[in-house]
Amino acid sequence: MARNDRGDRPMSWPARMLQEHARVFFFSLGKLWVNPFGSLLTAVVIGITLSLPAGLHVMLGNLGGLSSSWEGAMQVSLFLKDSVSEERGQALAREIKLRPGVSQAAYISKDDALSEFRKLSGFGEALDTLDSNPLPAVITVTPSATQTEKQVDGLYDALSKLPEVDLAKVDQKWLERLYAIIQIVQRGVMVVASLLGLAVIVTVGNIVRLDIQGRHEEIEVMKLIGAPNSFIRRPFLYTGFWYGLSGGIVAILFVWIGILALEAPVTHLAGLYQSKYGLAGPGFLSCMEILGCGILLGWLGAFWTVARHIHAIEPR
Amino acid sequence: MSNIIEFQRVSHRYAGGQDVLSDIEFSLAQGEMAFLTGASGAGKSTILRLVARLARATRGLVMVDGQNLATLKPRQVPAFRQRLGLIFQNVNLLNDRTVFDNVALPLVIRGFAHRDLGRQVRAALDQVGLLNKERLYPLFLSGGEQQRVGIARAVVTKPDLLLADEPTGNLDPELAQDVMKIFERFNGVGVSVLVATHAIDLINKLPHRVVHLENGRISDHAPTAASTLGGFAHGA
Repeated sequence: MARNDRGDRPMSWPARMLQEHARVFFFSLGKLWVNPFGSLLTAVVIGITLSLPAGLHVMLGNLGGLSSSWEGAMQVSLFLKDSVSEERGQALAREIKLRPGVSQAAYISKDDALSEFRKLSGFGEALDTLDSNPLPAVITVTPSATQTEKQVDGLYDALSKLPEVDLAKVDQKWLERLYAIIQIVQRGVMVVASLLGLAVIVTVGNIVRLDIQGRHEEIEVMKLIGAPNSFIRRPFLYTGFWYGLSGGIVAILFVWIGILALEAPVTHLAGLYQSKYGLAGPGFLSCMEILGCGILLGWLGAFWTVARHIHAIEPR
Repeated sequence: MSNIIEFQRVSHRYAGGQDVLSDIEFSLAQGEMAFLTGASGAGKSTILRLVARLARATRGLVMVDGQNLATLKPRQVPAFRQRLGLIFQNVNLLNDRTVFDNVALPLVIRGFAHRDLGRQVRAALDQVGLLNKERLYPLFLSGGEQQRVGIARAVVTKPDLLLADEPTGNLDPELAQDVMKIFERFNGVGVSVLVATHAIDLINKLPHRVVHLENGRISDHAPTAASTLGGFAHGA
């Protein structure tokens, strides 16, 4: 039946898919290139939509960095009984340091505590009027960074029960509150991000719908000459891919601009707290995440639209 | 030799309820060339549309190339259509692509290697005498040239069956004759050809079977040539 006398045959499936995807990859890019201004506008619209959740995401990352840079505050202070000798105190500090989950344990003798207090508080003269040193010896224990809140609580319980310890204190309530607030904000960002992600899907879907309407005749011709739906669908899906990718690039650009705009006042504020804290822009991973989300959303928008509309077009 | 097209008691009815074809018994043998004639609305186009599975028979059996079209699932339709070469009066070229890209499209759909396209496309363009126009866009071509590009696109995949619906409708008699000669050349190398036309003057000179339709039925009457009606010359 086949009169393929010259041995012309379609290629094997993988080779054919590779060629086809490469062709459509550039073909769809070329289609966008034909109308650069319109394509750019679309990319900007998608970019603005993406930049809000992306920016919030980067900001949260910065807050996380802020709290971890204050991780030192997660210290347990063990106030030792007066009866504990200096040698015993130093030995105890060494023992505590060997416990699992402890990264640092430093012994501060009564005298050291006094001189430190004298230096920092400015009450030196008042102290001189006292007969004896009222300050207890202290061991400051720093849990290792990998410890969870619960584990730190457990450590605190164990240390406070040591016979040498008069009083144990861990001042982390404010940190817990900060974490709680960050968690609420994170949820909020997720809600906003989902809504705006939906907006990207709808935006791309609408553009692709107009594109399909504009190429109604072309799709009819394709069906007439035997193009399967997957073949007709592919350029539109790649269009969604390009819109998502370009929107992601625009979003990263916007986030950087936002960071640059905020950097000076934030550094100033941090300076007022004697901190060298500065804003960090989106790192490589965050950028990849933003681009990936953009591509996925663009593709979804195109897929959703094409799936609904392409079946409706039949050659008359 | 078996039939490439087989219609058994085929009827087709529009959604509105009017019969366009009734009780059609018709076949085209493998390698045969035949013409479908009849007045506008007699059902010529409908027969071609049934063969290409652009419409479905309301009753009766349509077999094409051994395939019963009633049992063809929608997702199998593209693969089935790839076995045909379709040519239409309104040529349906894609105006934003060159002649070359238009003719290459069926090959691209079938997944031919990029490096093989050039040779096959040029062979097809050579057969319709448009080898030097491959870089032009369809809108820069005359009506006759566009029609020939449409033919090149239909034959580039070397189908076994060519269907043409009024392929000469927009052409002056001389160009129309050229197009018919092209079809005869393909038929000469074994392609089955079915042409719906009302260019009676033209086909009367050709040695092929003529199937005449009247009001949706196959008629025994010979078609009336426009030239015998007096005063009217054939044309669009």
